[in-house]
Amino acid sequence: MGPMAEFTRRGLIGTAAALAAPALIRPAWAAETVKLGCLFSSSGTMANIEGRLNYVVRMAADQLNAKGGVNGRQVEVVTSDPASDWPLYAQIGRQMLQQEKVAALFGCWTSVSRKSVLPVVEQNDGLLFYPLHFEGEENSKNVVYVNSPPASSVLPAVDYLMGSEGVSAKRFFMIGSDYVWPRTINKILKGYWASKGIAESAWREEYVPLGFSNFQTLVNQIRTFAAQPGGQPIVVLTVVGSSIPDFLREFANQGILATDVPILGLDMVEADLEGLDTTKLIGHLNCWAYLQAAKGERNAAFLSDWAAYVKAKNVPFSADTVIDPMVSAYDSVQLWALAAAKAKSFAVPEVRKAFAGLSYEGPSGYTLTMTGENNYVSRGIFIGSVNEKRGFDVLWQSPDAPKPVPFSPYG
Amino acid sequence: MAELPQPVSFLVRGVRVALALILMVSASMAQAAADPIDRSALARAVCSDGAGLARGADDVVRSAATASADDLAFSGSILRALLDRRLACVGDTSVLLDRPGGSEGRDAATGATRSAAGARSPVLGLRQRGLVETGAGVVALLTGASTAQRSAGLATLERRAAAVPEADTILERARAAETDAVLRAAIVQAMQAAALNAPEPARRRAAIGAIADAPSSAARSRLASLRTDPAYAADPAFKAALDAGIARVERAVTIGDGLALSYNALSFASILFMAAVGLAIIFGLMGVINLAQGELIMVGAYAAYGVQEAFRMVAPGLIDLYLVAAIPVAFLASAGVGIVVEALILRHLYRRPLMSLLATWAVSLFLINLVRVVFGSQNLQFGMPSYVSGGVPLYADFIVTWNRLFAIAFAAVTLAATLLILKRTPLGLDIRAVTQNRDMAGALGIRTRRVDRLAFGFGSGLAGLAGVALCPIYSVNPGMGATFIVDSFMVVVLGGVGTVVGTVVAALGIGGANVLIEPFYGAVAAKVIVLVGIIVFLQRRPEGLFVARRRR
Repeated sequence: MGPMAEFTRRGLIGTAAALAAPALIRPAWAAETVKLGCLFSSSGTMANIEGRLNYVVRMAADQLNAKGGVNGRQVEVVTSDPASDWPLYAQIGRQMLQQEKVAALFGCWTSVSRKSVLPVVEQNDGLLFYPLHFEGEENSKNVVYVNSPPASSVLPAVDYLMGSEGVSAKRFFMIGSDYVWPRTINKILKGYWASKGIAESAWREEYVPLGFSNFQTLVNQIRTFAAQPGGQPIVVLTVVGSSIPDFLREFANQGILATDVPILGLDMVEADLEGLDTTKLIGHLNCWAYLQAAKGERNAAFLSDWAAYVKAKNVPFSADTVIDPMVSAYDSVQLWALAAAKAKSFAVPEVRKAFAGLSYEGPSGYTLTMTGENNYVSRGIFIGSVNEKRGFDVLWQSPDAPKPVPFSPYG
Repeated sequence: MAELPQPVSFLVRGVRVALALILMVSASMAQAAADPIDRSALARAVCSDGAGLARGADDVVRSAATASADDLAFSGSILRALLDRRLACVGDTSVLLDRPGGSEGRDAATGATRSAAGARSPVLGLRQRGLVETGAGVVALLTGASTAQRSAGLATLERRAAAVPEADTILERARAAETDAVLRAAIVQAMQAAALNAPEPARRRAAIGAIADAPSSAARSRLASLRTDPAYAADPAFKAALDAGIARVERAVTIGDGLALSYNALSFASILFMAAVGLAIIFGLMGVINLAQGELIMVGAYAAYGVQEAFRMVAPGLIDLYLVAAIPVAFLASAGVGIVVEALILRHLYRRPLMSLLATWAVSLFLINLVRVVFGSQNLQFGMPSYVSGGVPLYADFIVTWNRLFAIAFAAVTLAATLLILKRTPLGLDIRAVTQNRDMAGALGIRTRRVDRLAFGFGSGLAGLAGVALCPIYSVNPGMGATFIVDSFMVVVLGGVGTVVGTVVAALGIGGANVLIEPFYGAVAAKVIVLVGIIVFLQRRPEGLFVARRRR
C-alpha cells in the first residue's frame, strides 16, 4: 500500500486529532486532491466479505488517477475499520464528512449499518454509495442505491422458479436470519404471492438467530413440508454469514438435491461455498446484478485488472474470486466520477443534479443508467446456479436493465 | 349417458371403437418410432437450447423400455457427461471429454477425436437437470455394470416415479434382466408400488401395501390423495386397504419423527458437551473463567486441517483417515497452547478472577487475529471422507447423518476417557484433590501448581478434540470459537462447577430442550426460553445441578 505507509507531518497531526476516534488511514500526498471515504469493515463478522471492497475502491481510484483524475484533481481514498459494529459506521462516517471533507462515501453491507449511517449523511448533506442489493422501501437524496431493490432482483428470480423454465414452484419455505432485511424481503414475497392468488397455506416462514448453525430440525421440517401435496416446493434462503454454509451442509447431508427442493439463496456468494463439497449442491440458485461468469470484454478486463491489482498490492483476498458487491463498489466510483465530471464540480448538490441521464457500461455487461427521479440505478439481473467448482454458472439473465422500483407495491 | 335412440347410440359406440382403434395404432406407431434412440439427434439436442435438451433427455426416458442396450449405453454416456460437466459443445456438435475442462475429447456422434477449443459447456436449468438425472438413472438401472450403480438408478427412478409414466415397463425390463436377488426384490416392490393406478383392484391394493411397507411422509401424501379416488367410495375392500395403509404409514412416520427428534437432541447435546467439557475442568479446578476456550476449539480444528494437508502431501492414498490421525494432533496442539497461556499469563493471576477473565479474553482476540493473519479469514476447505458426509435413511423420515453420528460417538468416547483419567489415574486423583481443597492438597505434598498446569493443558486439549469433532459439521474459520463460548458457559454453570457428570446432564438438558421447543416456537424463541429457564433454575439453585464436594 505504497503511499499510505509514509509518515508525514500532516498525517501526524491527523493521527493526533483522531486519537480518541478510530484512526483513518489516508495517502500522504494531499494538496490538490479530492477525497473519497470507505466504510467497509476489515475486522469482525463482516471482515471476510466487506474487507475486499476497500481494495476495489482503491483500484478504481488508481485507474481514474492514471487517466488524469477527475476534474483535474487526483482522487484520494480514505479507508477505516468500522469493525462490523453498526454505530461505529455512523461515527466514522461523520468524521469523514466533517473532518476529512470527503466528496462521497462508499460503504455498508448490511441494511442495519446503512440505516445507522443514513441520518449522518442526511444531516451533513453527504453522499453515500451503497453497493448491496437490499430490501428497498427507502429513498434518501443522500444515498445512491447502486444495487437492486427486490422488484429487480428477488421477484424476477422467484418468477423464474415459478415458471415452467424453472420448476413451476407452487409452495415456499422461507428461512431467514432474524433482522430487518430477511423480514422485509419475506413480507414483500408474501404480498407478491397473495397478489397472484396463492393461498397462505402454500408458504412457511421461519427465522433463526444471527450466527445460528444447528439446522437439523429445520431441514427435517423442510423434508416434511416438501412431502406434503400441493406442488413443487422451494426454499427461499435469507440467512446470512456463517449460517449459509452450515445450512447448505446439513441440507446436502440429509440427501435433498436441487432437483427435489431447490434453494434460492438471496445472500449467497462464492465466498459462502468455500469449504463445502458442492457436488451435492449443484443447481441451487442465487440472484445478483453481476456474476463472475458474466460474458463480455468489460468483465474480462475487470477480472484481469483485479487479479493484477491483488498481485501488485499484495491484497489479502483471492485474486480469482469476484462477487457482485465488489463490482457494484467499482461501478459506484465510476458513476460518481462521471457525475462529478459532468457537473464540473465536487459539491454534492451539483453532483446529484448530474445523476439525471447518467449512463455507464459496467463489467456486468449491462448499461447502468440513472433517471434523476430517484437515486436508484438500473441494473441487469442474473440468476446463478451452483456448480461443482464452488462457483456459479449463469443460468438466466435479463434481456435488459429494468427500471428500479424503490417502494414495493407488495410490502 | 342420457337416453339416446337406439341407432344413434349404436353409431356412437361405433365411432368410439374406431377412435380407440386409431388411438391404439397411433400409440403403437409412436412407440415404434421411439424404439431406436436417434443417436445423432440426441447428440445435437444436448447442444441446442434448453427446450431441445429437455426433449432429448425426455426421449431417452420414454424409449428406455424398448431401446437396444447399445443405444442405452450411448445415451447414458451423454447424459452422464452432461451431469459431470464433461460434455462440451462446438457449435451443435457434442464432444465428450475425459475430465471437466479437458482440451480434447471424442465427438459423441461419430467417435472421432476432436479438439474442444472454444467449446461451451451447457448449463443445466433445474427442469433440464431433473430430466437428465432421471434419464441417467433409468439408463444406470438398465445397463449399470455394478449392483451399486443399478440400485442408485432404481433410487433415482423411484424418487421421480410420478414424472415417469413409463416407469412400469422400464421396471419390468430391469426386473427381467436383474441378476442380483436383493436388487430384484427391490425392483419388484417398486413395480408393485408403481401399479397404484392400475385398472385391476387387486393390483391397486397390493400397491397400497407396497407403499405402506416403505413409510415416509411422501408415502402418506401419496396414499392420502387416493381418498378422493372414486374407488374409495365404491369399493369397500379398497377403502379398507387404503385406511389400513394410511394408518400404518402414519404410525411409522410418528415413530420416525420421534427418533429424529431424539437423534437431533442427542447430536446437539454431544456438540454442547464437547465444547463444554474442557471448560468444566478448567473452571471447576481453578475457577478461571477461560474466555479463550472457543479459540482453543478453533486451534484444534486448524490442527485437523494441518493434518489433512500433511496427508495430502505425504500419503494421499490414506487421506480418508486424516480425521482419526488428527485426534492426537489436535489434542496436543490445543493442550500446548493452553499450557503456554497458563505458564506465561494465567499463573500470575490466580485468585484474581476478574483479571484472568480479561487476560483470557485478550488471548482469545490474539489467537483469532493471529490465525486470520496466517491463514486468512475464509472458511477452510476440508475434504470430508465418506464416513462423515451424507446419511442413510433408517426408518420412515428418520435419516442418520454421518457427521452428527461421528460427533455423538466422539463425545461418548471423550466422556469415557475423561472419566477414566479423572477417576483411575494419579493425575486424576491429584486434580480431584486440588479441586476439593487446594490448601490441604498442597499441605499433603501435591504440587498444586504443576497440577494446575497439567489440568489446564488437559482441559485445553479436550477443546482441541471438540475442534476435530465439529469440523465435519460447522464451517472452520478464525471466528468460529465465538459461536460456542456462550453455550459452553451455560452448560458448565447449569451442570454445576467441576463435575463432568453435571456437564453431561446439562448438555443433554439444554440440547433436548432446544430441539423440543424449536418446532413449536422457532429457533429464536427456543434460545430465549432455554436461557430464561436456566436463569430461573439458577435463582433456585445457584450451585447448578450437581455439586462437587469442596472443603474450604
